[in-house]
Amino acid sequence: MSATRWASWVALPLTLALWAGLAAGLNTPLLPGPAQVLEVGWQILASGELAQHLGATLRRVAIAFALAMTLGTLLGLGMGRSRLFNAFCDPLLVLFLNLPALVTIILLYVWFGLVEAAAVLAVVVNKVPNVAVTLREGARALDPRLEQMADVYGFGRWRRLVHVWLPQLFPYWMAATRSGLALIWKIVLVVELLGRSDGVGFQLHMAFQVFDVAAILAWSLAFIAVVQAIEWLVLQPVERRATRWREAGVAHA
Amino acid sequence: MLELAIDGQGAGHPILGRLEARIHPGDRICLLGSSGVGKTTLLNAIAGLDRSMPASMIRRQAGLRIGYLFQEHRLLPWRTLRQNLALVGAAPARIDALLAQVGLQGCADKLPDQLSLGMARRAALARCLAVEPDLLLLDEPFASLDAPRVQELRALIAAVLDARPGMAMLCVTHDPRDAEALANRRWQLVGKPAALVEVRTEAGDPVRDAG
Repeated sequence: MSATRWASWVALPLTLALWAGLAAGLNTPLLPGPAQVLEVGWQILASGELAQHLGATLRRVAIAFALAMTLGTLLGLGMGRSRLFNAFCDPLLVLFLNLPALVTIILLYVWFGLVEAAAVLAVVVNKVPNVAVTLREGARALDPRLEQMADVYGFGRWRRLVHVWLPQLFPYWMAATRSGLALIWKIVLVVELLGRSDGVGFQLHMAFQVFDVAAILAWSLAFIAVVQAIEWLVLQPVERRATRWREAGVAHA
Repeated sequence: MLELAIDGQGAGHPILGRLEARIHPGDRICLLGSSGVGKTTLLNAIAGLDRSMPASMIRRQAGLRIGYLFQEHRLLPWRTLRQNLALVGAAPARIDALLAQVGLQGCADKLPDQLSLGMARRAALARCLAVEPDLLLLDEPFASLDAPRVQELRALIAAVLDARPGMAMLCVTHDPRDAEALANRRWQLVGKPAALVEVRTEAGDPVRDAG
């Protein structure tokens, strides 16, 4: 096995060992060891709490993600293809890009109350500008030569979108998806912490009230595991499928 | 089938000047001219791709179908040849025959990047034919090919033209041999802004007059 392959297996076990050693040495409830965290994790799994709250959080992530990607893609495409639309939207985009997530969440809760719609909307408002900016770059990078081809051969709107644009936008869309999932689930936790009575964020809130560090770590690690599973089981296979054509040229050469 | 009444200067066009000509069914025209004079610009204008060209200056017969062989193949690299041809409207049953016609039998399920330059160009030619064009535009179809491939492609295009007597062709080239092999008319693009001149061949008058 080469050194680079070895190297990627060093940092995590080392951190784990450091953590276990430090926890054993300090012997304080403020830093539980890996075994304790694992035990709490097992408890919330066995009691059904994990499934319930993880489910609530994942549902919010999924809805917010779908809405943010759809709206952000449309906005980004519009801005990338039309200078007028871009000039119109760009100042708003800058405003929303720099608006702290916390402000959006608080304002929407104040205006609409501590309701599910406000929670999801707050996440969407935070994510749409990021998606739009990424997809705008993609729309600007569309190959003009293929546009001419599509013009000559009378491609309609739909055919052009599916067969000419989407394959070119795919890397940008993938980048927006990756950074999107990472961002959205973190914002969802804050939204839950501030105004929902279920979800991982709510559980973290409860654990924070009683300084239950083991529970905080158990919930966080469980969520990280789920996000990583999505990366391996959904994103990477989709990406492999969609970029298979790129290998054609290399194989030929 | 197509009439050029271009007054490029009047329209503020950056490259083309005054061009008046007609293309009739069955015309085989080679368009010669030094590089940078505006040959591709004229082809794009005829294909309706030049936004700075007023539509009234190029009169196309209603429903005119155009097949355009660009300098690069411009096939969608993420679609197979079969899909590429189907996307311009080729009936599924015709695709294999179209590919066979350009010598690409058995390649229907290949991706464009799996083909050599010459093969990809022929695949793009098959896509042109898939729309059953009234007018075939060829932009430097023989560029970057070695001599045997040029011979091959010339013969192929000649065969394609023979099989479609009603189809007109406008082929950009800088090699007079192409004109000899394929054309019955020659256009020369000269000057700045570019003007169009119909060249009389030694064999006699062109088949039809430019005006």
